[in-house]
Amino acid sequence: MTKKHDLELVKVTKRYGQTVAVDAIQHRFQPSSYTCLLGPSGCGKSSTLRMIAGHESVTEGAILLSGRDISALPPAQRGTAMMFQNYALFPHLSVLDNVAFSLKMKGVDVKERHTKAGEMLELVDLTALADRLPDQLSGGQQQRVALARALITRPEVLLLDEPLSALDPFLRIRMRGELKKLQKELGISFIHVTHGQDEALALADEIVVMNDAVIEQAGSARDVFNAPTTRFVAQFMGGHNVIALPEGHFAIRTDAVAITAPQKGRLDAQVTAVEYQGTHVSLLSRITGDQEITALVPEAEYFTTPHHPGDRIGLHWDAKNLHQLTA
Amino acid sequence: MTKLTSQTGLSRRDLLKGAASTAIAAGSTTLGAPMLWAQNIKDVTLRQFGTGVSNLNDVANKVKEDLGFTLEMTALDTDSVTQRAATQPNSFDIADIEYFICKKVWAAGNMQAMDTSKIANYDKIAGTFRSGLLTPTSTIAQGTAPHTVGFTSGPNGTDFVQEESGWMTLIPTIYNADTLGIRPDLIGRPINNWSELLNPEFKGKASILDISSIGIMDMAMVVESMGEYTYPDKGNMTKEEIDLTLGIFTEAKKNGQFRAFWKSFDESVNLMASGEVVIQSMWSPAITAVKSQGVPCVYQPLEEGYRSWGGGLGISAALSGLELEAAYEYINWYLSGWVGGYLMRQGYYSAVPETSKEFMTADEWGFWYEGKAAKGDILSPTGDKLAGAGEVRDGGAFLDRMGSVVCWNSVMDENQYMVRKWNEFIAA
Amino acid sequence: MKKLLENRNVTGWLMVSPLAAVLLVFLVMPIILIIIVSFWRATEFSIIPAFEWDNYAFLFGSPVTYTVFLNTFKYAFITWAFTLVIGFTVAYYLTFHIRSQTWQIALFLLCTIPFWTSNIIRMISWIPFLGRNGIANSTLMSWGVLDEPVEWLLFSDFAVILAFVHLYTLFMVVPIFNTMMRIDRSLIEAARDAGASGVQILWNVIIPLTKPGIMIGTIFVVTLVMGDFITVRFMSGSQSANVGRLISNDIALLQYPSASATAIVLLATVLITIGILLRFVDIRKEL
Repeated sequence: MTKKHDLELVKVTKRYGQTVAVDAIQHRFQPSSYTCLLGPSGCGKSSTLRMIAGHESVTEGAILLSGRDISALPPAQRGTAMMFQNYALFPHLSVLDNVAFSLKMKGVDVKERHTKAGEMLELVDLTALADRLPDQLSGGQQQRVALARALITRPEVLLLDEPLSALDPFLRIRMRGELKKLQKELGISFIHVTHGQDEALALADEIVVMNDAVIEQAGSARDVFNAPTTRFVAQFMGGHNVIALPEGHFAIRTDAVAITAPQKGRLDAQVTAVEYQGTHVSLLSRITGDQEITALVPEAEYFTTPHHPGDRIGLHWDAKNLHQLTA
Repeated sequence: MTKLTSQTGLSRRDLLKGAASTAIAAGSTTLGAPMLWAQNIKDVTLRQFGTGVSNLNDVANKVKEDLGFTLEMTALDTDSVTQRAATQPNSFDIADIEYFICKKVWAAGNMQAMDTSKIANYDKIAGTFRSGLLTPTSTIAQGTAPHTVGFTSGPNGTDFVQEESGWMTLIPTIYNADTLGIRPDLIGRPINNWSELLNPEFKGKASILDISSIGIMDMAMVVESMGEYTYPDKGNMTKEEIDLTLGIFTEAKKNGQFRAFWKSFDESVNLMASGEVVIQSMWSPAITAVKSQGVPCVYQPLEEGYRSWGGGLGISAALSGLELEAAYEYINWYLSGWVGGYLMRQGYYSAVPETSKEFMTADEWGFWYEGKAAKGDILSPTGDKLAGAGEVRDGGAFLDRMGSVVCWNSVMDENQYMVRKWNEFIAA
Repeated sequence: MKKLLENRNVTGWLMVSPLAAVLLVFLVMPIILIIIVSFWRATEFSIIPAFEWDNYAFLFGSPVTYTVFLNTFKYAFITWAFTLVIGFTVAYYLTFHIRSQTWQIALFLLCTIPFWTSNIIRMISWIPFLGRNGIANSTLMSWGVLDEPVEWLLFSDFAVILAFVHLYTLFMVVPIFNTMMRIDRSLIEAARDAGASGVQILWNVIIPLTKPGIMIGTIFVVTLVMGDFITVRFMSGSQSANVGRLISNDIALLQYPSASATAIVLLATVLITIGILLRFVDIRKEL
């Protein structure tokens, strides 16, 4: 049973001619949660988002929101709102009018829509800039205008297409904090498309990893990071070694690999490179079968028994940290 | 500055030097001189401009053949011709212009008077251009009659004198009597008066030319024919007369009498040939052009008579030396008959009919000049058939046509006022 | 350092000087000359240097001037309205309905094909088409739409406007197309996301964002039409006049001072018109 604010994709497919962009994906989003669609470019995450928003038609399948199929509805009637990658603010309208745009389209009179837009601007803390034009704002300010414009339609689901990619790294970190906070305050679902796993980990209640038009893995940020089920997820999320063992392929976090003396661990290896990373030291080694394994050793630990390229070492881990991969 | 053909690689200066030394040599050996002139003259290029009427490539080719030098021709519309003659004396050597234009531009001093003693056929030039009298008993028509602006007081004169002074402003070459052109097939009844131009029967099918100095004269012919007013001198109206004339035509224009106005020869041909217009002011070769498309068109003689014009060749003030000699030679050749015959066969009259006659067949002479019925096909100079056996020229014989001229194209004292009123008429 | 700055200055001046020189010699000087001549006196045969206001006094005192200027504005306005609607529609279609860029370019080039022949030829070809016995009339009569030929097709204001629209629509299409192509498509999605209908998107997003292009096109069309004389002459059968014809008549009759005065007034009028237009839209963004 679907409940209110419950978004579900049912065998959603998008084809462009012969190319399949999204291949029959199936997913139910957690209500009132922050979800990240994560994947490399071309994996189908943006097409999925745009299908939910209604800016891309659904070739096959259904999109259910609060129990109704919205896949054939125009964007504005879906209960979704979208925040575009470059914010898509109307350059000829003031901040206030940008935010009030959807109300104007509905025929709300000037006074009322400006009052409401003013409230929205208060929410994103931009009241002082209401009369500016978009190109007189900084990137972060523009993003907040875009947010306010999307939220004024009172959507059940807010769709964000790479919202942070246009910002510099410092601002990006600050804004993602604001996004998360806003989502909690509003209590609606945010679906956020990104190709940065750190962004996804920082923000998401749930991460949906996509690759090659399908969902590779979905789950809480912790589950997806700690227990990747596929080789792709393990590699894409980073911080994992993928090891081929006689029993199959396994993923293990680089910081779960410990260094021992040769023959004392589970496998023997030869150090090929050492990289100092501040809190940790990354130790790259080669085991039989030409597989490379990275061990992330806390800095202090490493320097008690330092190793150098060419040294033979043993590698050890807890069996419970080993995750079998399905593909 | 005069231009010389570049084939010889000589500059004008070189040539003039050559000419000068030849002249000095000629002083000692008088006999040799003309031949040397003749050789140098081959390198001369004379630049002539004028209206399309007589600027014919056939003439340029014939000049090259007979005289050896090059004649470059530029055809322009009436206004542009006036403009050039008055403002750009260095852009031409020979001006092929009308007498009323001469009246406008002579005073600017861009042209030089010509010595009639150097014109071999001067005595054979028609009386119209000399005394003003077609026959000894003729009366002189209104307007700018050619003889009134044909002579100046001396080699450097910028005035006009009324007697044969021996110095001509233009050497006359061509003249004709203009009237209305009609499409007899589309009108289907006789047209005998200028007033028919404003007959409501031809509402939306009439045209008049948009060259103010000529158009106003056609208008005056119409106004007199309608019995609205009799001008003391159509060629020199008062402001009141101008207002009256243009007032009548403005009203007609507002009532939709006119299909269009035309400014160039081609426009008048197209209007007539396409049937957009059935009655309009027209020029003789335009009638010929319409006919040669197989469309019936008549240069209708009218009871009130003709409006006439005359053209001639003038020489740029900048010409001297060898080029001046060449220009005289060219003008003498022009009057010697070949061109006259050519123009006569287009329906114009040569200013020296006697010499032209020698270059026409008896049948052609009879048809064009004497108004006799054609005995065989009458062909245009380019070979189009213009009339068949038994046909008679519109208007008949020379004396009948030119004898019925009641006014000449002219420039009025109130020309500026007239032009402004004309603009009002066009804008109305 | 100081020397470098000086050099930089010098380089800067040197770099602008060719353009400045060209403009000075071919634009500023002629206009100054025209202004000077507009105060001269003309007789039938010659022009006399003088400083008198007669030419302007006559110009502003003559009812023809007002009729003709009014007519010129009329032509400019009607032509503008038609070229705008047609040009905008064509540009809109090319931009938003043709998906492939190859087709966009191909169709755009197709629009320019008529411009491979001269203005005059394109204009004159209308004459046999629109004439009393022309193709338009004979076709309509053979279809039974008309019993007798309609006269107003040719040598009328209709013909003048038709020719103007035909000649100048491309000048509207090009700048509008150019601005439209630069509109971020996500803006249209954003508008749709906000619930805007097609018409609302057109009115609230596309038209405001296309304004600079519209304005550039408007300036092209208005200045071309206001400066024209040949189209009006041919298509009205010389029966209508605009300012261009007034000037050309004056020139033909050697009234250079009067022509200059009219030209100066026309120039001023056009500049004022453009000035007013520019108050509405900032086209600098486009340049």
